[in-house]
Parts: sequence; C-alpha cells; structure tokens
Amino acid sequence: MQSLIIARKEILDHARDVRSLVSSAFYALMGPLVVLMVSMGTGKADKGGNVLLAMMSVFALVATFVGGMNVAMDSIAGERERRSLLPLLLNPIERVEVILGKWLAISFFALCGSLVNLAGFRVVLAAARLPVPDLLVPVTCGLIPLVLLASALELLISTFCRNVKEAHTYLSLLVFAPMGLGMFLVFFPRMTQGLWFVWPIVGQQSMLQHSIDGRGIAPLEATLLALITVASASVVLVGASRLLHRDEIVYGS
Amino acid sequence: MIEVQNLHKQYGRIEAVKSLSFRAPDGAITGLLGPNGAGKTTTLRMIAGVLKPDSGSVQADGPGIGALLDHTGLYQRLTTRENLEYFGELHGMSGEHLSGRVQQVLAALGLEAVAERRTAGFSQGERMKTALGRILINAPRNLLLDEPTNGLDVPTIRSLRALLRRLRDEGQCILYSSHVLEEVRVLCDRIVVVASGRVVAEGTAEELCRVTASDSLEDAFVKLTSLEELQCSR
Repeated sequence: MQSLIIARKEILDHARDVRSLVSSAFYALMGPLVVLMVSMGTGKADKGGNVLLAMMSVFALVATFVGGMNVAMDSIAGERERRSLLPLLLNPIERVEVILGKWLAISFFALCGSLVNLAGFRVVLAAARLPVPDLLVPVTCGLIPLVLLASALELLISTFCRNVKEAHTYLSLLVFAPMGLGMFLVFFPRMTQGLWFVWPIVGQQSMLQHSIDGRGIAPLEATLLALITVASASVVLVGASRLLHRDEIVYGS
Repeated sequence: MIEVQNLHKQYGRIEAVKSLSFRAPDGAITGLLGPNGAGKTTTLRMIAGVLKPDSGSVQADGPGIGALLDHTGLYQRLTTRENLEYFGELHGMSGEHLSGRVQQVLAALGLEAVAERRTAGFSQGERMKTALGRILINAPRNLLLDEPTNGLDVPTIRSLRALLRRLRDEGQCILYSSHVLEEVRVLCDRIVVVASGRVVAEGTAEELCRVTASDSLEDAFVKLTSLEELQCSR
C-alpha cells in the first residue's frame, strides 16, 4: 500500500515541524483554557457547571478540525507552492493513493489534537470539581469518525486552493462550521431531535450532550452516525482524488 | 529508448504541441532545444506521464522513466537519505535492496557527506544532486532532464556532465532540455530542435550547422526557429 508509505513520510515530516505542532497544541487547548477561565468566573454553581459542560461539547467538536489543519494546509497546497507535488506525482503511484496517504497523516494529527483537547478538559473539570463524563462512546462513534471527515474536508480544500495563503483562509472558515453549528445547538437543543442525529456535527454534538447530561446513547443511533460520517468522508476523498487528476490543480495554472 | 509519435496537446485555443514526433535512442544524450513557448516542457510532461496528450503516443522501454522537471522539490525536513528512501519505497523497493541502492546513488553523486543532513539550507548544487539521486534510485532506463544546470556553478555543472556521460556510456537513454546552446553542443550526441510545437530539425550539432549553412549552433538554431515562427505567424 503506497498510501501507507506516503502517510508515514508525512507524519515523520510534520512531526519535525515543532513550531507547527506547538501552535496546533495551543489551538487544541484553547477550549479547556476558555472553560477554565469561565469556571474561575462562575465558580462551581449549578448554572456555571452547566455552561462549562455545554461549552466543552462545542470545543470538542472544534478540536477535531484544528489538529490537522496545519498539516492539511501543507499537504497539497504547500507541496504545489514548494513545487514538490509534480516530482511526487512523477512516481508510479495512483492519485487516490496520494490522497489516502495524506488523509491518513492529517487524521493522525487531528486525532492527536482531539485527544489533547479532551485531556485538557479532564484536567479543567477535575479542577472545577465537576464530574468527568464517560466519553467512550462519543469518542469512538462520534469524534473519531468526525476527525476522519474533518481531515477529508481539509484535504479537499488544500487540493483545491492554489497556495498556502488561500488554503489558510478557507481552512480557518471551515473551523467555524463546528463552532457555529455547535453553539447554535447549545441554544436550540431541539434541533438534535428526530432524524437530525445522523447528520455529522449535529449528531456528534447531540451524542456529547447526552453523555455530559448522563443520558444514555442508543447503540443504533451511535453506529448509524459513525457510518454516515465515515461514508461522508469517503465521498469527500473521492472528490479530492478527482480534483488531483486535473492539470490545473497539479500545475496551479 | 523513447519514441514519440504525433504528440498533440492543446490548452484552450492554444496548440502547445502539434504532431510532434522524434526518437531518443539508448546510449545517447538527446538534446531538446527550442525557444521559450516552443512546447518543450509540455512535451517532457507528456513523456513523463503526468500530462495526458490529446492524441499521439509515447513509447519507452526498460524500467520506466526518471524525470527531473521544473524544480527539485525536495522535502526540507527530511535528510538526503530519507528523500532517496521515500522515492525508492514509492517504486516498490524495500529492505537491503533499497538501502544498498541508496548507498550506491549517494556515492555516485558524491552526497555521502550530506547523507544524514536535512535538505533545508542545501546549496543549489546539493539540491540538484539530491533531486537527481531520487530519480536514479530505481535505475530507470530513460532519463528526462529539464534545464538541470539552472543556477549551478561551473564545478557542479562539470560533475553533472561527467555523471550524464557515464550514464550514457552505460547505455541509458537521456533526453536533455536546455536553453543553453553551448551546454547542448558540448553534451548532447543528437539534437532535436522544436519550435511552435513541432520538430523543425534533428541531427548532430555539425549536421544542423551544415543544413542551415551556419558557422555556429547558435546561428543554426536562430535560422531554424525563426523560420518556423514566421510561418506560424502567417
């Protein structure tokens, strides 16, 4: 599998970019830091505690998009800008393998970002003396599939954009999707009822909120959401792979 | 051996390459010479397989084509050795076969001293040699080189020339594109002159001078390409 060779190289390459890793870690810890500051302001009163927990679900969604952002930006848009994309494609590899390899690497860093975020929340909740919710199901059936979808979307944007600057603009806008939608759902929780739970982001938000509130999660709903989110990621990857077949994408003109 | 037959490529209304045909034999360095916009880079990209021709065919024997087009494009956070290993793995090489071949290429290009150094901050010569090493890793039978001496100093150009002559003597087919006429005259065994997307002349430097009644390759080149461009503009 050449995609695994590409993924391993990308992980090694970006793991050496310490500045990028530090900035991604700060981004991932932004949520816990904000919640920590709010907790210091509100104390651990019931109302304050609820606000903290509701914010946690939104920031957990955002974290799935931020960990791999720098890697995604560098992946295709960066390679084209540094003119290393053409030498790569001159090797006997299918374009879909290039996309899969880079997606795996972005997903790896995105997952790390998400785990750093959750670890940060665990520390903050413990410090605020709030109960730490059991997030095993929301993470495995919700956040990990969302990491895969977020990474695929970021790679699609990186493939489409001509340079790193343009990719940075659009990737920053993409982060507003989970942020905006998550905040909306915190204030309008009714939107998570009915069949909305199968929609990526909406479903994850609903699942996280259920866990935080101590309500149960239906196994069928969790499985369906995971499958739909991963299927969406696959569709996006097919789109990115098709884009990479276009001359204007490869040569940037 | 590389054989190109009736290659055609159009970008919108612009015909970049028009029914272009030529043959680059084994054991020879074939120069691809042409003015800016003649279609050299488009032709090389089509031969390398990263650009689909609208029509025509490219045939190349042996284990594939190694191509150094446009730019070196190294990975700056990887060492020289890692850059070579990565491309070797993408060619399906692994284990001792790969590490042995990497060592062989490093020695052939004189890169052993910088083998464990990351390529960020490399000189232009070191970058070019590393990029060349990457395309030599799977010992391809055919080599495509687009302006490989751009930005190189004289000693590096000389060592590159010596390497290419050695590869030619080992029987490889080398297609060498350059704007520098003197470079082509000194290095290439045969020259294919391209203008306005088609081949206007083929032969050794002496043959091209004789056909155009010119004293130098520069005069021959100007006569051949200006005539073609004049005909195309009519």
